[in-house]
Amino acid sequence: MSKIVVENVKIIKKKSLGRGNFIFEMAPFSKTKSIKPGQFVHIRQPRTNLLFRRAFSVYDFDAANRTLSIIFKVFGRGTSLMAKLERGAALDVMGPLGNGFKYPSKRKTVILAAGGIGMPPLYLLAKTLLSRGYDPDRILYFYGGSSKADLVDISRIKKLGIRVYPSTDDGSYGFKGFVTDAITDNVDLTNGKHHLYGCGPEGMLKALDELALSKNLPGQLSLEAPMPCGIGICLGCIKPLRAGGYTRICREGPVYDVGEVLL
Amino acid sequence: MRPDLSIEIAGVKFSNPILTASGTCGYGEELAEVFNLSRLGGIVTKSITVLPREGHPPPRTAETEAGMLNAIGLANVGVDRFIEDKLTFLEKYNTVVVVNVAGAKLSEYVEISKRLADCPRADMVELNFSCPNVEAGMEIARDPELAEKAVGEVKKVFPRPVIAKLSPNVSDIALIARACESGGADALAVINTLVGMAVNIETFRPRLTNNTGGLSGPAIKPVALAKVNQVYNAVKIPIIGIGGIMNWVDVVEFFLCGACAVQVGTGLFVEPDAPIKIIEGLRKYLSSNKFSSVRELTGKLRKY
Repeated sequence: MSKIVVENVKIIKKKSLGRGNFIFEMAPFSKTKSIKPGQFVHIRQPRTNLLFRRAFSVYDFDAANRTLSIIFKVFGRGTSLMAKLERGAALDVMGPLGNGFKYPSKRKTVILAAGGIGMPPLYLLAKTLLSRGYDPDRILYFYGGSSKADLVDISRIKKLGIRVYPSTDDGSYGFKGFVTDAITDNVDLTNGKHHLYGCGPEGMLKALDELALSKNLPGQLSLEAPMPCGIGICLGCIKPLRAGGYTRICREGPVYDVGEVLL
Repeated sequence: MRPDLSIEIAGVKFSNPILTASGTCGYGEELAEVFNLSRLGGIVTKSITVLPREGHPPPRTAETEAGMLNAIGLANVGVDRFIEDKLTFLEKYNTVVVVNVAGAKLSEYVEISKRLADCPRADMVELNFSCPNVEAGMEIARDPELAEKAVGEVKKVFPRPVIAKLSPNVSDIALIARACESGGADALAVINTLVGMAVNIETFRPRLTNNTGGLSGPAIKPVALAKVNQVYNAVKIPIIGIGGIMNWVDVVEFFLCGACAVQVGTGLFVEPDAPIKIIEGLRKYLSSNKFSSVRELTGKLRKY
């Protein structure tokens, strides 16, 4: 039984990535031993009138230095308040939570499909796969956004030495079109040698899900939903399963096999 | 001297007066990963119905000012699986297990309570007469005669103490409280959530698919304190206070208003280990104020 821990940490680095996107590097995570790509942390908001914690996928975790990074985009009241926090501010962080990604067979070529703020968990997945000996030439990172400014921190992904395929809806950078189009344009999915991972807006996940199902492509998608509790006790962050019934994104997820959740 | 946190309700002994509220801790499995459930005074399970329920479609929770709205719709595994899987899980913990029971009609409350009568781990039942998201419960919650009858019928089939959980969404909560007392209730849980609505101004839709939901969290604490005090002045049976408890100060307030125990609900979503912090804080408060027992606080409000 894994113990759920709360860490009292400080922001040791804050960086604006433009368009309301920020990186927080936080430390010290003294109780957290390891984190699986796809897991998330649940951060208490700096005002008590905002009751719910906010969930963020882990962008990076440095076990030696006990630091953990997230990327977030200002979206509502909680993230607006978080964006105002400066270096040195204290945060109450619960986690790591959720199941995380399963690793593919080393014989597979890995397709990582990220849309906008869905980038962080797939970056950590790519980094982890490399450390586990996967071939960088067979890790393909498709990173899409509405325009160039949405492809935040892309230089960090490129530094991994994997193959990066940017795409934008307006054509301002890389392939012009959706991530799914960029994938089918660049990869022959018919040979059964690929494994797909996706994280991004729901519309994109739905398109990835349909693509994977139609091409018989195995893979996993990381889902998002507002999570009041993050540990499976409030039953708020549910989505319908294709097989019937609901699943708790925070507890059984946030990562699901393609086709598992009704998107 | 270490202050005594233990309490007793209708012969059931609690190591401390902090319980987790129904619908905010599932059947205990998840919270058991946060702390040892034996440290709780008691755990009140998710509402159990005769048949399993999936609940309402999402979105069924929404954040509101210092509170939350929920319309989960009594999602639960049903009484059979509850007894088989969930109640057995709780066997290993040394805490009072209160099984919350909900029904679409009176006969269902009786049917479930009858099943639980044969399960010694179900130390008590709590009758959810007050779920604002399910109409049947509300009828009993609003009608004193029906409430009295419902408690009486359950008492006939369940040999251990019965708690009635009251709704604040009634014109006179004291009337319902007295009716439950006459029906034989051993204790009252005060209060359930208040009916509320949150609206999305872009879609013009309510933020819950159920349109309305139950409001909980710190936003409702003043209402809960007033209702606990009103009920305290109306009945003789013990009162378990609920409504927006986040810390030990809140607990002391509920005790002063007349509660002899409390339930922490929405607070668990913010801080899942809140009960543990509350127990420690409460002990320190009692100790520094020279109280030998938490029981001394109940009803000590000095009204103007």
